[in-house]
Amino acid sequence: MIPTEGPALRAARLRPLAAPARAPHWEMDMQGFLDTVRDLKEQGRRVAGCFPLYPPLELLHSFGLTPVMLWGLNDDLQGFSRSDRHLQPYACQVARALVEFVLEHGPGLFDALLMYNACDTLRNLPEIIASGLDGSSSRLPVLRLHVPALPLDQAGAAGYLRGRVRSLAAELEDLTGRPFSGESFARSIDLYRRQRALCMEVEGLLSAGSLPLAPGMGLLMGSNRIPVEDHIPLLEAFVNEGRQAPAHGAGRPGVLISGILPPPEPLLDAIDKAGLRVAANDIAALKRFYSFTPETTPDPERYYEDFYRGHHPCTTILPSADGRLQFLREVVQETGVGGVIFFGEKFCEYEYFEFPYLEGMLKELGVRSLLLEMSAEGLQNLDGYRTRIEAFAETLA
Amino acid sequence: MSTEDPKEKFRKNESGKRLTSIIMNDYLTLHQRASQGAFVVWIAIIVPAEIFAGFENVVYGVPESHAALCAGKGAGPLLCGKAEGHGYSTDLCSYARIDIGTAFDGGKDSPTFGLPKPDLLISNNNNCSLLVKWFDVYHRVWGVPHLVLDIPFCYEDQTSNDFRYIMDQFGHLIRTVESLSGQRFDIEKAREAVQNSSEALAEWKRFTDFARHRPSGITAFDSFVQMAPILTSRGTRQLAEHYRLLAEETGEQVRAGVFPVPDERYRLLWDNIAPWHQLRKMSSRLAGLGANITCASYTYCIGALEGRYDPYEFDGTDPLAWLARLQNFSVCPHGLNLRGKAMREVIERNAIDGVVFASNRSCKVYSLMQMDQMRRIREDLGIPCVMIDVDHADVRKYSEETAFTRLEALLEMIDARRAQA
Repeated sequence: MIPTEGPALRAARLRPLAAPARAPHWEMDMQGFLDTVRDLKEQGRRVAGCFPLYPPLELLHSFGLTPVMLWGLNDDLQGFSRSDRHLQPYACQVARALVEFVLEHGPGLFDALLMYNACDTLRNLPEIIASGLDGSSSRLPVLRLHVPALPLDQAGAAGYLRGRVRSLAAELEDLTGRPFSGESFARSIDLYRRQRALCMEVEGLLSAGSLPLAPGMGLLMGSNRIPVEDHIPLLEAFVNEGRQAPAHGAGRPGVLISGILPPPEPLLDAIDKAGLRVAANDIAALKRFYSFTPETTPDPERYYEDFYRGHHPCTTILPSADGRLQFLREVVQETGVGGVIFFGEKFCEYEYFEFPYLEGMLKELGVRSLLLEMSAEGLQNLDGYRTRIEAFAETLA
Repeated sequence: MSTEDPKEKFRKNESGKRLTSIIMNDYLTLHQRASQGAFVVWIAIIVPAEIFAGFENVVYGVPESHAALCAGKGAGPLLCGKAEGHGYSTDLCSYARIDIGTAFDGGKDSPTFGLPKPDLLISNNNNCSLLVKWFDVYHRVWGVPHLVLDIPFCYEDQTSNDFRYIMDQFGHLIRTVESLSGQRFDIEKAREAVQNSSEALAEWKRFTDFARHRPSGITAFDSFVQMAPILTSRGTRQLAEHYRLLAEETGEQVRAGVFPVPDERYRLLWDNIAPWHQLRKMSSRLAGLGANITCASYTYCIGALEGRYDPYEFDGTDPLAWLARLQNFSVCPHGLNLRGKAMREVIERNAIDGVVFASNRSCKVYSLMQMDQMRRIREDLGIPCVMIDVDHADVRKYSEETAFTRLEALLEMIDARRAQA
């Protein structure tokens, strides 16, 4: 039986839970996101739009900025007419949606954008966006970071990263007019640590079947979009609700879901309805995003060295590639899942280069896999995906 | 009066024959030395191969170059299909698919029988990061160590911090090869190789400069074909000598009035990697229309610093410093502004009438700036531009007629612009 939403979950989908005066819109859709950011702006908050995937949120936050992640926006976009003037359709939908959103809403909504070299497509975007906003009345500064694609114990990589973090902090001082504060930075880390720990707890409750999957995933995606201090009470409420709810997961075949973004709500529902239980996730915007926080320190250079060194393995963090295989092996064995569903972001070479090897590795472990290719066009008709999920569930039953 | 077709005369130059012999010899030597126990490295094209000349018995293969050769010889779809059979998506770079298809089938159907198996893989991420993922495939399947060079992307000139970081990595690369191969690095040998490369690149520029002549002394397709030994013979005397002779022979032809497109009415610039499967077809068909793609961003950038055209010459001091400074000698590691700067210089220098932006599904990093670049060139310089869809190595993703409909439209735009002038 699928658990139903409790009051906290319902509230999270529709209304503020924590500080109503500051955050009156908590819908997870794009309009809710827009309204939230606009409200923050009205309150005098300065908002930084961050490109995926793992930017230095704590540092931005310590300067009084409110960082929000610019992905998972495509569900509500009405096409890509602005983006299509700048990007060919074989760019992934993450990039197309990001460009579309920033060109439509960016000026006036954000005080700065921040990007790092997460992938080839994303590294091309700052100048494309600047070009797209050329002539716009609002100036939108773009901050950049280069995260080494090497193990940080190799060839000056850690020193280089430290230098880039130092430069970024100096740029933030100029942008905000505030000096860097180690104390403030440490406080920001602690807030994010709390948020991430709660996200992990919500994950545990979801995998046990104590909370319904789709809204739970929506809440977890909130870690990308909702200001951290407002997200924490939401998560706490969910966790409290989940702890009291009975676990409904026992007896349902467990699957691991993997990909860049979580699948849209109808497909999460389809997983639920097919009788499957999401026992673990390897989604870049979810577990890979929030599963690790280094020790608190007032030193951002040391913190980000630890942050990227110890980061959860991800296809986009190139030195972590081998670690990802190990992680998947371990999680599959620990959770005993019978299947893995890859939600493949179409045109994401980082993900697609790995699928054949992973499929073989899982097969050796006796785990079935299903690859569903997620594209902007494909998502307009979800029935095909549903059918494949149902068929996959039958093979696991 | 001779009845010989000038185009035939052009094709018969010695450089073409010498090129074939160099490439054949490079692959044969690679296989031979590997079979005799040389330490084999596979590298991405921008990895500084001159460093390997500093070792007694290290040879290198370049999967991208091998894939381009396969595509040029018509083996692209067959080899791509083999990789697809192993589960690699058709959306992945066709170079990678050709290479994986070759490697997983023991070199069968490759004109060079593939590459000898590597002892070390060295990729980098400034040309494109997917090279790292591509080389990881072999790292996992064969258990071969994989070293990555992390070269920061350039929105502006290389910074001193970036330079130092790259130098640190070169040091690590040398220590890694020493440790794995058991051989010592000799910087004097590397210096000699760098001197050869610097000379070769200066001669290369002398060759590509014949595109300034009216009619052009070369086509971009000549530069696509002739660039191959830059990837397979880097750092050799043979390479410098080949390009010196190439430039001399091209100069002689120009002086003799022999041109690839004698009735050249349209001088075009190509932006992207070559469509290897279409070189002859596309150049001949364009020549029939009086159009010559005289130059290409893919080849005019070679040997130059970011956003520039002229070669960056070695001053005889530190060879590793020269290599580090020149780590961005292809277009892909450059941002929109730097690419535009070099392109504008070439448009002016070569009196370009129109630009062909080849939107290449297999190279996002090259292609995903083109729409803005095209707009800027068109608006700022008033030069007609067109975008065509290609795939550099997978002919299945290319439609000749669709491409030519657009190319002919470009020529009409150039005519219309002239009529207005």
